[in-house]
Amino acid sequence: MIYMDNAATTRPYEEALSTFEKVNRTYYFNTASIHQEGRNADKLLEASRKQILNLLDLEGFECVFTSGATESNNIAIQSVLKKKKQFGRTVLMSELEHPSVLNTVEAMKAEGFDVKYIRTTADGQVNLESLKELLDGDVVFVTVMAVNNITGAIQPVAEIADLLKDYPKVHFHVDATQAAGKIKMNFSGVDTLSLSAHKFHGLKGAGALLAKQVKSLDPVYYGGGHEFNIRSGTVNLGAIAAMAKALRISVQDMEKNHERISGYSEHLRKAVTGLPSIHLQPGGVPHIVNISFEGAQGEVIVNALGARDIMVSTTSACASKLASLNETLMAMNNKAAVVKGSIRISYSNFTTDEEADMLIEALKGVHKEIGGVLK
Amino acid sequence: MKYDHILVRYGELTLKTKNRKMFVNAIRKTMIRTLEGFDVKVKANRDRAYIELFDADPYEVMDALKHVTGILSVSPVVKMDRTEDAMKETALNFAGGFKGGSTFKIEVKRADKEFHLKTFDIQDMLGGLLLRNTENIEVDVRNPDYKVMVEVRLDGIYMYHDVIKCVGGLPAGTGGKALLMLSGGIDSPVAGFEIMKKGVELEAIHFHSPPYTSLQATEKVKRLVDIMSERTGVDIKLHIVPFTELQTTLYDKIPDNMSMTSTRRIMLRIAEKLAWKVDAEAIVNGENLGQVASQTLTSMHAINAVTNYPVLRPLLTLEKNDIVRMAKEYDTYETSIMPFEDCCTIFKPKAPKTKPALDKVLKFESNVDFESMIEKALENIEVYETDAKESENAFDALL
Repeated sequence: MIYMDNAATTRPYEEALSTFEKVNRTYYFNTASIHQEGRNADKLLEASRKQILNLLDLEGFECVFTSGATESNNIAIQSVLKKKKQFGRTVLMSELEHPSVLNTVEAMKAEGFDVKYIRTTADGQVNLESLKELLDGDVVFVTVMAVNNITGAIQPVAEIADLLKDYPKVHFHVDATQAAGKIKMNFSGVDTLSLSAHKFHGLKGAGALLAKQVKSLDPVYYGGGHEFNIRSGTVNLGAIAAMAKALRISVQDMEKNHERISGYSEHLRKAVTGLPSIHLQPGGVPHIVNISFEGAQGEVIVNALGARDIMVSTTSACASKLASLNETLMAMNNKAAVVKGSIRISYSNFTTDEEADMLIEALKGVHKEIGGVLK
Repeated sequence: MKYDHILVRYGELTLKTKNRKMFVNAIRKTMIRTLEGFDVKVKANRDRAYIELFDADPYEVMDALKHVTGILSVSPVVKMDRTEDAMKETALNFAGGFKGGSTFKIEVKRADKEFHLKTFDIQDMLGGLLLRNTENIEVDVRNPDYKVMVEVRLDGIYMYHDVIKCVGGLPAGTGGKALLMLSGGIDSPVAGFEIMKKGVELEAIHFHSPPYTSLQATEKVKRLVDIMSERTGVDIKLHIVPFTELQTTLYDKIPDNMSMTSTRRIMLRIAEKLAWKVDAEAIVNGENLGQVASQTLTSMHAINAVTNYPVLRPLLTLEKNDIVRMAKEYDTYETSIMPFEDCCTIFKPKAPKTKPALDKVLKFESNVDFESMIEKALENIEVYETDAKESENAFDALL
């Protein structure tokens, strides 16, 4: 089996699994207990927190552990908006956001918020001119992801932070799920940041909300007051320590992997360029490539590759069961046929040269096989 | 422009003539320890030290040196080729950071007397250059806001202007040893830092009364010792004295309004015995005149009566908010204010005497055999040896 759906989730590093297992054997205590073993578990929790902040260069930030980016996004959006309501009602959101941001912000309309979408360039980036036009005294919240999960486009986070300096009441939230551990970005101007461990070879069920000021946040559900009283519930220490471990390995090997995976994606783009009815989306990070087979359904391509034992996905796994057309690709002004026929290939740090080559051969094979239906 | 050296100016040790070598060796040792992990080389000379930066951030290095006692100030230095162009470029770079409306002066030291430019030539060249290329900046040779230093040496030219103030005082280990009474509050770590400034080496003593005091309270004191060790670059040994038996006996046998005085007297008796054992020549505490009932002059007199040892109280007359500010500068404040039960809070008398009568205290104490309990407590001391760097890496294999 060749796994090429790593933007959906990754295989954990052996080291991360080993940390998870060891922690659950030897530090299974509640980090809130005041006995000696509880104190030791708490020390491990704090060391994990410190390590994650260091690895991401987030000096002065605090790290609230959550179950993953969906929860982090919900906490940031819901709690900050409730506090900001008295100062303004407008939320600006890119058209590219993941459903965990999009649907949370949309749900806040019921609380009286006005949601405006920042337009997208043909390259799949947030249009800074559009953002400038939309910014006014009523805006209290701006949310833009760091790296798009459909095309891999890297968003101009530092430039946006710079623009927002003139709007001190705006809270800037960034969903960095596809960026953490993959590329180095400057997040110093950001107020809150979400991430999920399982996207960088950690385990499912652990993530973080990184905040410049914990005071800007409130819990969205209540309990015993863990994690700065923002996210109650006995802390999942094993998965958290494994996340710290996975991020450490990912950051340490980042340059090396970036170079290798860039080779794969460039090779792939070159190999399919010029084939009839093939449309490549502009890229960004090397580990995501979006290809359309114009005239076919993305699902057909996924099935055809599946028959060759290669796993890819249509748009994003979180939305692929929904019938509607992908918003990111529509926002980039793609023809409906291009959007319908798109698949997402995503490499990981485990992808080998051999697998990358086999994928190219398989894509060429599928192209020949279904050539008759393509436009 | 890249800073490649840090210039370190010494504090009071420059007043020493006969023992200069010993003082310089001590400060070299502490700097090397503090800068462990940085890619640097420490060169300590008789009158100043240079730290050569290979792949280290100059500001991180200077921050690490801020609390090393014996250092008066540091400057980031640019070393360049012995050319006029190199000097001009660096001078312009420096001036870019000067505030509008300020004054400057060019000061030259020619260690290489053969250099083709004389002192005045260099001053004239660089001073003129800066005046032509800046607006609203004047020369003032008497009292300038910025002093641009140019040192001409055989291996190159060294230039700097920024001077960052450090803690001053004398190098660690040149002033003997004292025992610090560390409670875990805001004051005692500050008292420790103040004494260390004078080159005094410290060991610390802490009393705990499990199960009445919490594990976290002891952990907190260990963290304070870690912070103090890391900031000063000097290891501090912490002696944790089991005090439960004494505490409960005091609670039982001494009237409530005098138990505080007796408790402090017993603690000081233990501290004195330990100080003797570890060759400390004084006891240090964070007492502040009049702050609480045990720190009135009458209380101090009654408590101090148990020992002939010098008891040093560097915070004696300071304002509380100054002590808080110092604790924040020394980085101990956030740890000190963590709320855990310690021995002071649990057995706190309802109405302690601010003017305890020594004769009454002595009478009540004479009814109890404290001496054997004190000996037992001393025998069961737990020693914590700080190694801040190591404890951080305790989870290295897991993380």
